Amino acid sequence: MVKFLKLYEKIGIFILIVVASIFLAIVSPNFRKIDTILSIIQQGCYGAIIAFGMTFAITSGGFDLSVEAVMGLTSVIIAMLLPGMGFIGAIIIAILASCFVGLVNGVLITKMGISPLIATLAMQVILRGASLLITNGRQVVISQKSFMLIGATKLFGIPTPIIYMVVLFIVFFILLNQTSFGRHVAASGSNEQASKMSGLNVNLIKTVVYILVAFSASIVGIIRTSQALIGIPTMAPGFTLNVLTITILGGTSLAGGKGNLIGTLFASIFISMIYYGLNLLNVQIFYQMLAVGITLLFALFIDGLRMRYLEVVKIKGIRV
Amino acid sequence: MNANNVFIELRNIKKIFPGVVALEDVDFDVKYGEVHALVGENGAGKSTLIKILGGVYQPDSGEIIIEGKPEIIATTSIAQRLKIAVIYQEFNLIPDMSVAENIFVGREPRIARSFINWKKINNDAAEILKKLDININPRKFISELSVAEKQMIEIAKSLSMDAKLIIMDEPTATLTEKEVDKLFSIIKELRKKNVSIIYISHRLDEAFKLSDRVTVLRDGKKIETKKTIETNQDEIVSLMVGKIVKDYFSGEREKTDKGEVVMEVKNYNIADSVHNVNFKLHKGEILGFAGVLGSGIHHLLRSLYGAAQKTSGEVYFKGKKVEIRKPSEAIKLGIGYVTEDRKGEGLLNDMSVLQNLSIVIIKMLTFFKGLLIKEKKEVKVFNGMAKELDIKYANINQRIIYLSGGNQQKVIMGRTLVSECKVLILLEPTRGIDVGAKAEIHKIMTKLANQGISIIMASSELSELVNLTDRCIVFYKGKMVAEFNRDNMDEEKLVAAEIGKFSCSNN
Repeated sequence: MVKFLKLYEKIGIFILIVVASIFLAIVSPNFRKIDTILSIIQQGCYGAIIAFGMTFAITSGGFDLSVEAVMGLTSVIIAMLLPGMGFIGAIIIAILASCFVGLVNGVLITKMGISPLIATLAMQVILRGASLLITNGRQVVISQKSFMLIGATKLFGIPTPIIYMVVLFIVFFILLNQTSFGRHVAASGSNEQASKMSGLNVNLIKTVVYILVAFSASIVGIIRTSQALIGIPTMAPGFTLNVLTITILGGTSLAGGKGNLIGTLFASIFISMIYYGLNLLNVQIFYQMLAVGITLLFALFIDGLRMRYLEVVKIKGIRV
Repeated sequence: MNANNVFIELRNIKKIFPGVVALEDVDFDVKYGEVHALVGENGAGKSTLIKILGGVYQPDSGEIIIEGKPEIIATTSIAQRLKIAVIYQEFNLIPDMSVAENIFVGREPRIARSFINWKKINNDAAEILKKLDININPRKFISELSVAEKQMIEIAKSLSMDAKLIIMDEPTATLTEKEVDKLFSIIKELRKKNVSIIYISHRLDEAFKLSDRVTVLRDGKKIETKKTIETNQDEIVSLMVGKIVKDYFSGEREKTDKGEVVMEVKNYNIADSVHNVNFKLHKGEILGFAGVLGSGIHHLLRSLYGAAQKTSGEVYFKGKKVEIRKPSEAIKLGIGYVTEDRKGEGLLNDMSVLQNLSIVIIKMLTFFKGLLIKEKKEVKVFNGMAKELDIKYANINQRIIYLSGGNQQKVIMGRTLVSECKVLILLEPTRGIDVGAKAEIHKIMTKLANQGISIIMASSELSELVNLTDRCIVFYKGKMVAEFNRDNMDEEKLVAAEIGKFSCSNN
């Protein structure tokens, strides 16, 4: 069992993808086309980008349930500001507002000692309410068609969202694995008290992490708004669960201390493949929710097994 | 009642933990209505023994006979059924429930089997409290009570279960003198009711005031059981210490004259726990801090490292007055701290050996102030420290939890040492590691001191202090009560001072 878990930790998600690929390649001739594959990746990249941020949050021992509402807030701010301020101004303000939300999350959790689960859930409701208030409960149509350039075009034949994802992946990957900040994040999630005794400013580290999550959510909010050309205050209801599923399925442990961004990236593709497969089968869209829920439970089950078994190994003193 | 009046008898109890014999052939008995004091140095086996009685551990061999019948105390609930109650130092009370609920938790009187009978639960609780002459409202929440009051609730809880044997582990460690008196009168009351009590304490005078018999444990063996009136404190102290086992590296300390003063602490106070402490730490010196639970050493050292607040006092580092408000400031000055709670505040469980060692200085090992870790440099630093401390590991990416306790301890020490500290604060540096690794840690400490690093070592192992330190300060109830140097230090004096029996400076 321990061996299986060790193996799963290393290559589990790749095996899942290979199996799913073989299956899809058999049942769908279309799957063998490059466009289809790109489209699958593109469908997955929205979840992936936010999951990069979420990977940081979970690695630091926390959680963020407010991401879908941050997307909505971003969308609304952009739609309202575009006519007056142009692209750049609107985007910058939307991103700054999101980062501020992350800062507040961080302060609530570190300074006020509210559990991340509850603090960010409350934040989700607050942001939803605020977004609806700003637009009076309506969706806001964007008249500048050129705003579509941001998220609904291709560069060198590749859809721009995929490019954003790759860039953000590189940045987040370096941040987590190659900087002292990344180490500090993992240390804080691994043992907060030990980190404090090692002189780390855990509160600051965690606050920055929540800013990163909100930042990544705002990027997706911008892309989706650009594609729809509408400011949607209630954008992407339930998407947070998707993001969590991707992160945990990718091998980032809920216990904190161990983040796996490569796993996150591939898990997003896997989830997207499930969607694609379900579409092929022509089933109702509700089945997709079912599938995500089941995948999340599966990922949590594996994560739980891992924690329990590695604990047993530790107690028995077996060297692995 | 038995003919010989014995409630519980233990025969040839043996308990082995990996690498350590915790108890060996221990015989022990408690009579009805007797207060039996159990004494011994840390690691003597007291807590193992009470955990066996409480059903937490199983003995590897031996018999337990309760009221004439052999019994196996397989779980804590069986212990309860056998009328044995253990009051541990950390209480088992639920803070957000009322006193009455806590007393009857799991056994609440009910109406029609489903609804708690609130009236009865409160009345019954009030009655028990009254019997013990404890003046606490049973409707109060546990979280509103003081430590002493919580302890009394624990006792009330034991009584409500009809306990015939109550085991108290260091009950007075955190109590004020008035509260101690109150506890004593309750214990005397219990004795009249024919309840047996095992009383564990570091404070010998208390043991003598209360007990009918005293049993001394040392290194897992029972040394002696004596009637209290037939012995005296001096005799017990020498039984506790016994012959000094020389498995220590006593070290080729380069006989340094006292070097310059590196750190000086003046009039240091922490509310309730540390009172008016003054000391100087010299360059290349190993300074020992000795004291039993409640001595305040732990609070003092944490506070010097900035991990806890002081009430008043001054700290001078290399002649300059400094304010240390958090650990990062201490590290910056060159003060290192190695925790005694390796698991709780030392190990970064999910991370590798390498990452565990470098966490304190990782920012220094990067290009552009934090961006891009210099991995080769990091490995080089690690290898250097691993060689210096002789850390044994499979590879640098191995998770730290898979190392042995001794090697984990070395990594945690290494973490502090790579930050190039001048002062090293070590708490219980050899707790929970085997004898071989212990000697190695001692060797490392001697080497560091020879290199000019000043060490403050707090230890509850007296032989370690005697063999290793240049000077040793003894704390009792938050005050410095005695100071010894290498020439006039021995275990007996330290024990005596630790339990408040010796209070002149011998320097």
